[in-house]
Amino acid sequence: MAKVTDMVLWDKPGEKVLLLGNQAIARGALEANIAVYAAYPGTPSSELTDTMAIVAKKAGVYMEYSTNEKVAFETALAAAWSGLRAMTAMKHVGLNVAADTFLSSVGMGVEGGFVIMVADDPSMWSSQNEQDTRVYAKFANVPVLEPSSPHEAKEMTKYAFELSEKFKHFVILRTTTRTSHARGDVVLGELPEEIKAGKRKFGKFKKDPNRFVDVPANARKFHPIILEKIEKIREEFNDMPFNWIEGDESAKVGIIAPGLAYAYVKEALHWLGVENVKVLKLGTPFPVPYGLLEKFMDGLEKVLIVEELEPVVEEQVKTWAYDRGLRIPIHGKDLVPRVYEMTTRRAVTAIAKFLGIDVPLDYRELDAKYNKALEIVPPRPPSLCPACPHRNSFYAIKKATRARGIYPSDIGCYTLGLLPPLNAVDTTVAMGGSIGIAHGLEIAQHGSLSEEQRKKEKKVIVATIGDSTFYHTGLPALANAIYNRSNVLIVVLDNLVTAMTGDQPNPSTGQTPHGMGKRIPIEDVAKAMGADFVEVVDPYDIKKTYEVMKKALEVEGVSVVVSRQVCALYKIGQMRRRGEKWPIYYVDEEACTGCKVCINAYGCPAIYWDEEKRQARIEPSMCWGCGGCAQICPFGAFKPVEEGEE
Amino acid sequence: MKVKEYNIVIAGVGGQGVLTAANILGWAALRAGYKVRMGEVHGMSQRFGSVVSYVRFGEEVYGSMVPEGKGDVILGFEPVEALRYINHLRQGGMVVVNTKPIVPVQVSMGKARYPEIDEIKKIVEEDFRGKWIGFNAEELAIKAGHVVTTNTVLIGALTQIPEFPLDAEHVREVIRLSVPPKAVDMNMKAFDLGIEAAKEILGL
Ligand code: SF4
Ligand code: SF4
Repeated sequence: MAKVTDMVLWDKPGEKVLLLGNQAIARGALEANIAVYAAYPGTPSSELTDTMAIVAKKAGVYMEYSTNEKVAFETALAAAWSGLRAMTAMKHVGLNVAADTFLSSVGMGVEGGFVIMVADDPSMWSSQNEQDTRVYAKFANVPVLEPSSPHEAKEMTKYAFELSEKFKHFVILRTTTRTSHARGDVVLGELPEEIKAGKRKFGKFKKDPNRFVDVPANARKFHPIILEKIEKIREEFNDMPFNWIEGDESAKVGIIAPGLAYAYVKEALHWLGVENVKVLKLGTPFPVPYGLLEKFMDGLEKVLIVEELEPVVEEQVKTWAYDRGLRIPIHGKDLVPRVYEMTTRRAVTAIAKFLGIDVPLDYRELDAKYNKALEIVPPRPPSLCPACPHRNSFYAIKKATRARGIYPSDIGCYTLGLLPPLNAVDTTVAMGGSIGIAHGLEIAQHGSLSEEQRKKEKKVIVATIGDSTFYHTGLPALANAIYNRSNVLIVVLDNLVTAMTGDQPNPSTGQTPHGMGKRIPIEDVAKAMGADFVEVVDPYDIKKTYEVMKKALEVEGVSVVVSRQVCALYKIGQMRRRGEKWPIYYVDEEACTGCKVCINAYGCPAIYWDEEKRQARIEPSMCWGCGGCAQICPFGAFKPVEEGEE
Repeated sequence: MKVKEYNIVIAGVGGQGVLTAANILGWAALRAGYKVRMGEVHGMSQRFGSVVSYVRFGEEVYGSMVPEGKGDVILGFEPVEALRYINHLRQGGMVVVNTKPIVPVQVSMGKARYPEIDEIKKIVEEDFRGKWIGFNAEELAIKAGHVVTTNTVLIGALTQIPEFPLDAEHVREVIRLSVPPKAVDMNMKAFDLGIEAAKEILGL
């Protein structure tokens, strides 16, 4: 079995391999002869970017981890303007960051194929909100392709480039968590000669200020052009290879299934044993091709649209039907929930209701049994890893503020500082939001207080933000806070990697996937911007970290403490690969008084409570040897084991 | 004979190697000529939280998630985690589970209780009509050479359950090809220990 990243570059047309949806998309881009790829990681899109990072050099593709989605978008867009095939990828909320450029530039179109991959996260498995990118696409009048399987994801990616080039228009390839993170059999296609040879491709930008300068006089011309393009594309979609009608030709009932919903509908029909239905499989939820719809609707007496999240297809179909004077029942969100992700159960339930038949399983009974079982299942939310440096930073912040501060935080592993026992996250909004919120809170809380009152109240504000997030959108907020003479402490949790999405590099590490870039130390930026106090600490030294936090809190103005220590998961992964050992700790039974500080205030997941002995214990297979517990135990009960593990 | 649809739910705690196990089974199914769909978790939930992976194969599979009430097997890396996804089990399905608990922080803090293994077993057998194959896989893994082979022990046991559609030797081959060369022997031993454990419980 080859490594996945090797398979993505395999020159073996016809070979069947098992790929993650995101990896299949990377392969599709290579088969399409992509030249430039730029993105900022975000679950569930990250593996596409990571795969490109590994294969790019060999395939002669320019690839970068950009500092945010807007910058990535602009990088790829400019390449597409230069006639190259280019791609960017992001999670749904990433499109909000890129939205300004996206909506402003859509009228300018492209020369080379430009594909924007956006991964939505229905049910919010790893996100701060639930957002349907198809609504954005409709707003921007950009076509959406949505695959129903990993293999189709690859094929569609290839097609997306062709479509974009043909109409000189942007194309969105929309996935959801269950397509991006589904694995399935994928049949490899041909790779272009240039990719096989690893030859870097270069384009040419032809100046055209009437097109590429967004002054009102030009912009006014764009809007009608966009609308014209989208109607042409609607025509084109009547017979594109990912849209089709299947099932019983003479059936009186029909189901429309866009994107991944098609897989659930197929599964549901199969389970229900229903055969006399017609199915419209839609790979293009926007724009819905009216010609194909007309053919599908012919002879139908009622229709159900099974789609995830917003009624994007439903609204188009209903509008079309109304304009035609077609008066048959068209069901959708009345039977299919509008929130959270699609499941087979949801599809089965909706279809059974639509057809007036029984569901194949007594869900009521199942739910009752299941709820009873869950009563004895303790919660197990994700937690900061053992030896995670953020735990120490939070611990020190809490101690320095005597737990009386307000703690705005940001997007990253450290958001988990929200959970007990740390409880050190009070707000999390969006990437880079912590600093802006901290500044706003400061104005709201203290603006009207006199200096004296302020000292007495001592409601200090401590924002936490990660290194990657700092460079993503923290910078303008920091400039704003300093410029407006805010009084906040900003702790940059610099673990030298973008940990949550899978250890991607960023300006604080200076690494790029292809070697060293130029490292930008966070403290230098803070100093250059004029922060009133800047210091770097190692959070593995808890006492020192605490002292620096205390000092920083005394300072009037914006203080920046960079708490720097490499991500433990990343470090242990590297050590494992190199076959290295690390020390592990144990609890000295003589010394442990059972005070529970380590559990109730610190909370390393390797530490658990021995009910019988009423003492703390360490699970050796989970200890990563940071020694944090030894520093916080008032009785010196944690001690390193002589013999290292691994 | 080829199966139409076979559904495996793998449940555990982030960091236990749930994804690796799923991948091994997925590849084995692909090499056996089946259509394969797998669903998995990424991102934040991988950090020592509850994780679940789905492996589905057969001639007729579409979605990547095993629907509720359709799971042929729940492969539990941890007892409470097996129970957390028990709604996926079909009547008469199997629960192959490592009985060594990993106690969540909430339990240590005294905010929740960890159930007895027998309580879990009872719910599986009585309410869900499932068959329980529980043993301490971690102990066997340590015997094989290292805790990290716990997932291999469990996969070994899995191959022994009645009507399991993949050939144990084929699965073994995929493991051999996917682990680092110096870990092959250890994993082969772990696989065998898993097979033995299941045979003993099943009375084979
Ligand atoms: S991955 Fe790294 S940063 Fe994230 S919780 Fe684990 S140790 Fe901390
Ligand atoms: S040394 Fe202590 S704090 Fe660090 S990982 Fe081990 S048990 Fe956790």
